[in-house]
Amino acid sequence: MLALDLFVNGLIFGLFYALMAVGLAMIFGVLKVVNFAHGEFYMVGAYTYVLCAMKLNVPPWVALPLAAFAGAALGWTVERLLMRPLYAGYASWSIMKDEYAVVVTFGLSLLLINLVDKVVGPYPYRGPPLIETSRFALGPVMMNGQKLIAAGISIALLAGLAIFIKRSLWGRQIQAVAQNRLGASLAGIDATRTTSLIFAISGLLAALAGALLAPLINPSPDVGAFPAIKSYVIVVLGGMGSIWGAMLAALMLGVLESFFAVYVSYDYRDAFGLLILMLVLIFRPQGLIGEKGREV
Amino acid sequence: MRDARNLWSRRLATDFRAALAIVAALAAVPLFVSSPYWLGILIVSIYFALLALGWNLLAGFTGQFSLAPAAFAMLGAYATALLDYHWKVALAIGIPAAIAGTALLGWILGRIVLRLKGPYLALTTLSFAEIARVVVGNSHEFTRGDQGLNVPALMQSRVGYYYLFLAVLLAVLCALHVLMRGRAGRFWLAIRDDETGAESRGIDVVRFKTLAFALSCAICGLAGSLYGTFSQLVSPELGLLLQTGLVISMVVIGGMGTLAGPIVGALLVYLSSEWLRGVGNIQLIVFSLVVIVFARFFRTGLWGLATGRR
Repeated sequence: MLALDLFVNGLIFGLFYALMAVGLAMIFGVLKVVNFAHGEFYMVGAYTYVLCAMKLNVPPWVALPLAAFAGAALGWTVERLLMRPLYAGYASWSIMKDEYAVVVTFGLSLLLINLVDKVVGPYPYRGPPLIETSRFALGPVMMNGQKLIAAGISIALLAGLAIFIKRSLWGRQIQAVAQNRLGASLAGIDATRTTSLIFAISGLLAALAGALLAPLINPSPDVGAFPAIKSYVIVVLGGMGSIWGAMLAALMLGVLESFFAVYVSYDYRDAFGLLILMLVLIFRPQGLIGEKGREV
Repeated sequence: MRDARNLWSRRLATDFRAALAIVAALAAVPLFVSSPYWLGILIVSIYFALLALGWNLLAGFTGQFSLAPAAFAMLGAYATALLDYHWKVALAIGIPAAIAGTALLGWILGRIVLRLKGPYLALTTLSFAEIARVVVGNSHEFTRGDQGLNVPALMQSRVGYYYLFLAVLLAVLCALHVLMRGRAGRFWLAIRDDETGAESRGIDVVRFKTLAFALSCAICGLAGSLYGTFSQLVSPELGLLLQTGLVISMVVIGGMGTLAGPIVGALLVYLSSEWLRGVGNIQLIVFSLVVIVFARFFRTGLWGLATGRR
């Protein structure tokens, strides 16, 4: 019965990973760069939630959308200020495009971590849960209310995102820009605004993941490092740039990790995901699902 | 063709002279500064200058944007420390062993990531760096984990260490200059600017890319190994991603793809970070901001600003 417990808890963590990784995959799909500050979007969400709830006495259910808004605003700002040179027609930039993106997002990650460290303080905060319940047994699975609600919200968000991308006009524009930026703009799609939208969405999702997990993880300024690394693994596993691949790979990684930590080695659980990442990049760079799964 | 060649030679010569002038100025510093604290700060800045030069060889000259320089410094430091801790190997053998070991690892890593570019390369080297750190930090019975390892000292005095580090910096600088002036350097630049083009003109891309990896990692390993004997304690913290971030920011601020730039950047960043630490621990905020601004608006770094090359 331990196996079932591990499986369910792994799936739930997989859902949180998916919230992070989907945004990263969308950014990669459109700009072909890795956002090394993605973990800090998560961190900002967690802090917005905790500080709003604790210092301003905002009810948790209001703090949650506030955190999402903060993440979206951050993502949008980052795109406007720093990502424009990647596509806005600076001819000489194209050679060093990848390097520029790594340097800038890496720098941004350091900046946000240290700003929060300086302004808020280096100590971890414990966020208030959305509902007060202690652990209870759901059949053979140990569960607590916060985790269950967070998982529910994550499922709703991911499903909503999937419908948004598939059906809505904006979503279709995102797909078009990801497939062919020039072609999309020739067809009258505002590719620049679409890119801003993508950054806002991925900031929103990452920040929500942080806010939902804040009561479970006690955020500190560098709390985003591990979720970010996990989402790199996931994005690579799912085929870089594929949203559906990222969702699937996130659930897989969540389950695999929870089994690995118990049956193989707890100390090396973080190295395990990275080893997968290296192996996939070297032997199957198109990801496990491959080109077919790449729609965005 | 001839003109382009002369242009590059002239640029490299100015660059090298500037770097030599900085090293000469550094050599005179102990005449005026006797405080062991400030000498220590300068030694650490030279350690970072070595890492920056090593990383710049790979990222600035060959165009292979690795995120593992700090990991290789950690591995070099641990190679020396472990040889001493387990088998009582003398430093005279331990340091060369660290260089050889990191060169070999770098060569293997270079072979592995041969086909990867841009973000794929960055992610793979990042994973390598983090795996190395997690493994070193968790192998408690072999490396004592986060407690770190003690390393015997190599020199008696701070001044001795200072000149040792400076001599190594000079040696690395000269070696890089010779390489960059020769065939290898031009091949590296060709690979950076257009890999397919370089290959079609008959450059052995595989050989020269792996060579760049091996050399760059060996420089980082050497720097780490020396740093271990200076601080007499090595810990997995040497390999933190933050350290890699510092190295990158030094090179970006100083000027990528130059010899003087990384040295200037390392000295500037580390010395002013000591000062900013006093002001209120804001050094990392300032530097990450400066790096973003430089990457966004002054891509050639300070060296580019100074020589008018934008």
